[in-house]
Amino acid sequence: MSDRNTNRISVIIPVGRRHGDVRELHDEYRAGLDALRTPYELIFVVDGPHADVIAGLESLIDAGRNDIIMVVLNRSFGESTAIMAGFARASGEIILTLPAYQQINPEDIGKLVQALEQKDVAVGWRWPRSGGPLEKLRRSMFHGLVARVTGMRLHDLGCGARAMKRVVLQELSLYGDQHRLLAVLADRLGFSVIEVEMRQSARDRFEGVYRPREYAHFALDVFTVFFLVRFTKKPLRFFGMLGATMFGIGAVLVSWLIIDRAVFGTSLSDRPALLLSALVVVLGLQLFALGLLAELIIFTHARHIKDYQGAEIIQYPQAQIDLPRPVRESRAEKTARL
Amino acid sequence: MPDPVPKVSVIVPFYNEQDSIGPLYEAIVSALAPVGIPFEMVFVDDGSRDETLARANVIARSDPRVKLVKFRRNSGQTAAMAAGIEFASGEILVTMDGDLQNDPADIPMFLETMDSGYDIVVGWRHQRQDKLVSRKIPSRIANWLIGKVTRVPIKDNGCSLKAYRASVIKHIPLYSEMHRFIPAMASMAAPRIAEVKVRHHARRFGKSKYGLSRVYKVLLDLLVIKTLASFAARPLLWFGLLAVPLLLGGTGLIASALLGAALRGGSISLPIAGCGVIFLAAAFMMVCSGALGELVYNLGDMRDHEFARLTQRLRMRTAYVETKTQ
Repeated sequence: MSDRNTNRISVIIPVGRRHGDVRELHDEYRAGLDALRTPYELIFVVDGPHADVIAGLESLIDAGRNDIIMVVLNRSFGESTAIMAGFARASGEIILTLPAYQQINPEDIGKLVQALEQKDVAVGWRWPRSGGPLEKLRRSMFHGLVARVTGMRLHDLGCGARAMKRVVLQELSLYGDQHRLLAVLADRLGFSVIEVEMRQSARDRFEGVYRPREYAHFALDVFTVFFLVRFTKKPLRFFGMLGATMFGIGAVLVSWLIIDRAVFGTSLSDRPALLLSALVVVLGLQLFALGLLAELIIFTHARHIKDYQGAEIIQYPQAQIDLPRPVRESRAEKTARL
Repeated sequence: MPDPVPKVSVIVPFYNEQDSIGPLYEAIVSALAPVGIPFEMVFVDDGSRDETLARANVIARSDPRVKLVKFRRNSGQTAAMAAGIEFASGEILVTMDGDLQNDPADIPMFLETMDSGYDIVVGWRHQRQDKLVSRKIPSRIANWLIGKVTRVPIKDNGCSLKAYRASVIKHIPLYSEMHRFIPAMASMAAPRIAEVKVRHHARRFGKSKYGLSRVYKVLLDLLVIKTLASFAARPLLWFGLLAVPLLLGGTGLIASALLGAALRGGSISLPIAGCGVIFLAAAFMMVCSGALGELVYNLGDMRDHEFARLTQRLRMRTAYVETKTQ
């Protein structure tokens, strides 16, 4: 099962700061993957200098495991970058990402892969899920927000187990914290996405409390989705909306002050409210200017922007009109992500 | 019959038009076959969820002149037009709606007009078959506004039946929701534009995909296109102009605060002087935004001289022949 050219599944495991014992993890995942009876390769991307992981993987490779690839990144670049680094080495038609600690029951990996028969992307959903009421509330609020913004009812963006066809990652070049939003971004590119229920591993227990930092992360995620989904190619609609609102508020304030001055004779020179209204007006203008600047950025890169996804051209040449199969010229379009 | 290189490409985006696609195909073929120019049809299926794609496939199989572009998902009319333009191989590209409201019998007239030296020919539905209040009146206002702002006075921007010289339109960036503004966007290259009257039929199948809710979007898009067309290559000037009123206002406010203090004695009025400072700061930020814009333009890949080249006329004497291109 180790010929690198016949792998059907490439498993990418980005190993960040939070990780379990890599040898144990390896054995568990392998058990789950072997059950699929499909050739696979394991690509461990060590995101930063984690000596224990490197040593563990070295020993596995030394022991003759030739379907393991270890990619060591020299500093911590983040999970998205790690996944893309692994993808650069992947040869399978199916790409599977798995978390670096026990999140899910490895026996359910098969379910995830099977879901790809109908869909392009399958993301894991730990269910039934452990966690206290506060944790559940936080989770449902977060996913509710995402659903409002994207119209996609997702349940577990934090699950690291995802399966997708190769073409998905080819078109979706992830960066930053986008790995968590993979389902949303893939949907935007027109891929079909499904959530697959996976049993939660008994060892995936998050003890402790989320710090404000994590909440800021969630909020930023939602904002990113909001902006990416709605305004990527029409930034002035976003900035313009904000700017016009600000400008409007400021204009109302100013006209109220002027009326007050003209009718009631309140001198403008000792009204601090004048400062506030001037600030709001100017802020509105600035936002509008930002929007125009953003439009300029889009315009100057418009040659690379494709608004459509995965255009496929079908034309039956004269000579082959009678044959049942069309000649297909498939172009994987580079889609713009800004 | 050998497959000649097509001179004319008819580009039709389809979105859930299963009943229209067959009749439209017939109409295009019967309109263009007598003209005797080799042509092709580019049918763009914009992620339809009905039988459109299947029927288009049947047509494509029976006719090698049909090129079918298929999207993975619905991407909007601009995207469909852009893809059609990108994948078309003719020298003249004709775009039209897939809902049978345009009449392909008008295409030969478009080709004749193109031949008399135009780069873009747009249709004008002078007897439009649509609802008056929800469609015709807003569209008349919009057309007037677009004409005023972009200085491309077209009576009917919304008519999809248009013809373009491929060498020009293929270099005009089309994205977001610009299909309504293609001539305005193309005005960056200063093409020769002609307008011809076309027939317009009431919708026979399916239902309209437009509503009235687009005013805000159209206004912003218009603003964007106007600024891009006139200022994209000079962002510093553009933001500099925005900064002028702020600069004047700020200076005036500060001067009046100082003057007031000097005349009436006492201290400087904080709110008025403060406003002046805010305005000056904003003017400064505007100029800096302009500098940022210069940087962006400099690193981007849009250049005015490329647009200029698309429609330039050239006349020169060489040692042997006089060359004249249009």
